[in-house]
Amino acid sequence: MNKSSALGRNLALPPNGVGRLQKLFSSNWGARLSAYIAFLIIWQLVALIVPRAPGPVPVFTFIWIEISGGSHGGVLRGQFLQHFIVTLQRFSLGLVMAVVSGALLGILIGSLPFFRALLNDTLLVFLALPAIIWAFLTTMWFGIGPRAPIVTTLLTAAPFVAVNVAQGVRAITPDLHRMSAAFGVPLSKRLRHLILPAVTGYLFAGIRFAIIIGWNGVLLSEWFGAAEGVGWRTRFWYDANRYRGFVGWVVIFIIFIVLLDRLALTPIQQYAFRWRDAQAQSSETTKSSMASS
Amino acid sequence: MTHMDLAERQARQVEWIVLIKRGQHFGAILLGWVSFIGIWFLLSRFVVGPILLPDPITIGIKMGDIISSGAFVRHFSSSILKVFTGFGIAVLIGTPIGYFMGRTRYWKAFFHDPVMVAGSVPGITYAVMALVIFGISLEGPILAVALISMPYVAINVAEGIEGVDRKLIEMSRVYRRTERHILRHVLIPSIMPFAFAGVRLSFALAWKVEQLTEVFGSSGGVGFMIRKEFQDFSVTGVLAWVLLFIGFMLLIERFVLVELERYLFRWRGPQESELA
Repeated sequence: MNKSSALGRNLALPPNGVGRLQKLFSSNWGARLSAYIAFLIIWQLVALIVPRAPGPVPVFTFIWIEISGGSHGGVLRGQFLQHFIVTLQRFSLGLVMAVVSGALLGILIGSLPFFRALLNDTLLVFLALPAIIWAFLTTMWFGIGPRAPIVTTLLTAAPFVAVNVAQGVRAITPDLHRMSAAFGVPLSKRLRHLILPAVTGYLFAGIRFAIIIGWNGVLLSEWFGAAEGVGWRTRFWYDANRYRGFVGWVVIFIIFIVLLDRLALTPIQQYAFRWRDAQAQSSETTKSSMASS
Repeated sequence: MTHMDLAERQARQVEWIVLIKRGQHFGAILLGWVSFIGIWFLLSRFVVGPILLPDPITIGIKMGDIISSGAFVRHFSSSILKVFTGFGIAVLIGTPIGYFMGRTRYWKAFFHDPVMVAGSVPGITYAVMALVIFGISLEGPILAVALISMPYVAINVAEGIEGVDRKLIEMSRVYRRTERHILRHVLIPSIMPFAFAGVRLSFALAWKVEQLTEVFGSSGGVGFMIRKEFQDFSVTGVLAWVLLFIGFMLLIERFVLVELERYLFRWRGPQESELA
């Protein structure tokens, strides 16, 4: 069954109720809707087979209670906003530091061959270090508290920003550098009119990676080394042996990162890359929206 | 005569410049390593203290201990086996998904969101899923690896299918080959390089998630040992294990996977296999 035959079959259908329903389900939106329904069914099946795994209904009920602040039974009450705000503060602080330091490092590495040779291997080691290691190390270094999650976010996210920015700087034609050198353009002007415009798109791509990777880092770090925040709350439910709470929070994390990605990051990245070839751009975003974790 | 002299001198000059440039390059790389280890030493001695940040020599000695005690081989082989089993499952399930995505508009729309979401959720999700479904077990990390690499395999195979030479299929039909024959000798050979590229793309993510899952719930493997060292509050142990692990994973990525790909797809000729 290929594209044309599927289309042909739809057109041949008589316009009665059944045909319209079938047409609805074979449209792109119908397909996407079916995917979500299939996902929920598979989830429910897994929950039926594995006694430990909670199904979609208890999980979404849990999420509702946790967000609305209702009772989980007994004295346990839902806590959502207080943890979310704490985590967002730590996350954004770490992220801002990561973006600033990563961008500076990336410009340095991208524009000077000496720094590239000097820092390339160090950067490779930092890129390869998993977030969990930073979570462990920062917990051992700073103890339980806000510093471990902030530093974990910074250390996991910064290398990705640096690599992307360095790539952007290196993509500038050397002729432009030589020309500005020949005409004696001062460094500040070169930064403003040559490097920054070329780097912006790469910077946003880097920030996008940084957010997805930093989010993983902050959660892990809060799991092992914090006394409040969403990561801690997830662990609280895990230790309490309430798997619906544990899974419920993970669902919240997924919804948060997917919404952030769809509503903010992808449009910003497309805007930043709008000067490039439109066709190249569309394949770029599908490819880059894949790489993560 | 003078002409020859000039050319020769110029050639020699160019040679020297190249040599100097290369020397500067390697000098900078060496300087990078020296300063990295130097800063580490200074931090360890004067700023943070040897308990919170042991110096590189202590870590090196610990690494030697881990290797000579045989613990590394045991846990590393357990981890790497799980990674490759997970990959096998990802290829087995991801390839048909990618096949349908590449052939029909309906399945492309159907799998679009699941594949995109699966590719952009944090790694902790997979670790948690594996833990909930399998508990502390051997299968958990395998499931996590399979889940994280499957979208990459599917996307790549879909791309590969879209690029399959339709004329080859038409020709096979003209010569009355069976559908099974076409699948075996036309489609699968054209898809496998793409499936493999998906595996290679997701390798760095996969071993990290595998190890994370072992940290959360496992009774063996490198991640389990890292967790154990963390609970003993041993920065030396955590760093020694992770650096050994990273080192060997980078080696596998650089040499084993590249060589394996070259071997598996040797029929494609040298240039194409370099590109993929």
